[in-house]
Amino acid sequence: MSDGTPKTADQTACTRRLLDVTPDAVLVSNLGVASYVLAGVADRERNFYQWGSMGVTIPVGVGLALVSDEHVTVLEGDGSLLMSLGELTTVAQHNLDNLTVVVWDNETYATTGGQPTRSPAVDFVGVAESCGVHATEVHSTNAFETAYRNAIATDGTSMIVCRVDPVDTDDRPPIDYPTIARRVRDAIADDPDQ
Amino acid sequence: MTSSNRTDRWIPDAVEALKQADVEVVAHLPDSKIGPLIEAVESDSAFETVQVAREEAAIGVLTGAWVGGTRGALLCQSSGLANAINAIGSLTLPARTPFFAVVTRRGNLGEFNVAQVPVGYNIDRILDDFGVRNDTVTEADDVGHHIRLAAESAFSTATPYIILLEQTVTGSKLEGL
Ligand SMILES: Cc1ncc(C[n+]2csc(CCOP(=O)(O)OP(=O)(O)O)c2C)c(N)n1
Ligand SMILES: [Mg+2]
Repeated sequence: MSDGTPKTADQTACTRRLLDVTPDAVLVSNLGVASYVLAGVADRERNFYQWGSMGVTIPVGVGLALVSDEHVTVLEGDGSLLMSLGELTTVAQHNLDNLTVVVWDNETYATTGGQPTRSPAVDFVGVAESCGVHATEVHSTNAFETAYRNAIATDGTSMIVCRVDPVDTDDRPPIDYPTIARRVRDAIADDPDQ
Repeated sequence: MTSSNRTDRWIPDAVEALKQADVEVVAHLPDSKIGPLIEAVESDSAFETVQVAREEAAIGVLTGAWVGGTRGALLCQSSGLANAINAIGSLTLPARTPFFAVVTRRGNLGEFNVAQVPVGYNIDRILDDFGVRNDTVTEADDVGHHIRLAAESAFSTATPYIILLEQTVTGSKLEGL
């Protein structure tokens, strides 16, 4: 591929873009780098940073979107998704309009030192589609923004697999775990639109 | 086949107790004993049901539901609860969120399947060891009352609480995994 198209999007820029498109979305971010990048871009009441439960990030988004009218966007990692591919069947069961899943596919376990995942051998879009989840793959920041806008505008849940380079950042969520969960809960409960 | 089992009265009692505890979301993965309760909940419009492919996903779903302001419960068997242990230990406990489950406790009285024994028989101790409160129900008459009290305690203290239903409640069978 030497057509000049960048092969990867910028995870930090994409995180910023998705906040521009859905400034009020509840964001559920995978443990590690996805949460660190999000905290660096914008620490918000509606950020549900995970600190553990690898492989369970998407289900948190499903539960939130199921019971609320908020738009919920999950920021998943390729390693975490590979741990629990079966959860895509649960996403498909409900196919919620107010849920979008973004997978930061950096082909590594970036948080633990960049060890390779099996992601290069996996067609995540194919896996998702065969479970009944609409999915698309993007390789640039602009393509990500377009795909994200489409996902928000389209009925049902969409999954966007976004190829990114691994990010190394010192940013961290600035509050402790119980406060993170309660802050999101209070922000949703206080929402006059709910 | 087993629907005339005299212990089946625990099922409507459990459904009623879940309602009284304001449980609205039920995540589930069956075994042959909790299957009838799952069916009862699925056919009751008071509940939104979520079929998980692996029980630890239920920890995520129910934590998300609680953050969204709604109470939920997991229905599964003891091996399924074991599948969820890391999620309880790395999400429910450190984030101090509630989690409530009604679990068919396998591996004890009436168990025919040796594969259910190591985890099922010891599940109460496994839970105790990492600080997850649990209550073993041995009498069908106690099911409703215990579910109600356990769920109230889970949600008002924002901690996990697990109800374990013995086969003296759910009925032992000579087969059925
Ligand atoms: C059950 C479990 N296994 C392994 C780990 C160690 N671990 C923490 S973060 C992480 C990497 C996650 O990879 P991915 O989802 O691709 O996110 P990335 O770090 O690349 O952003 C791993 C393996 C863990 N916390 N929990
Ligand atoms: Mg990764």
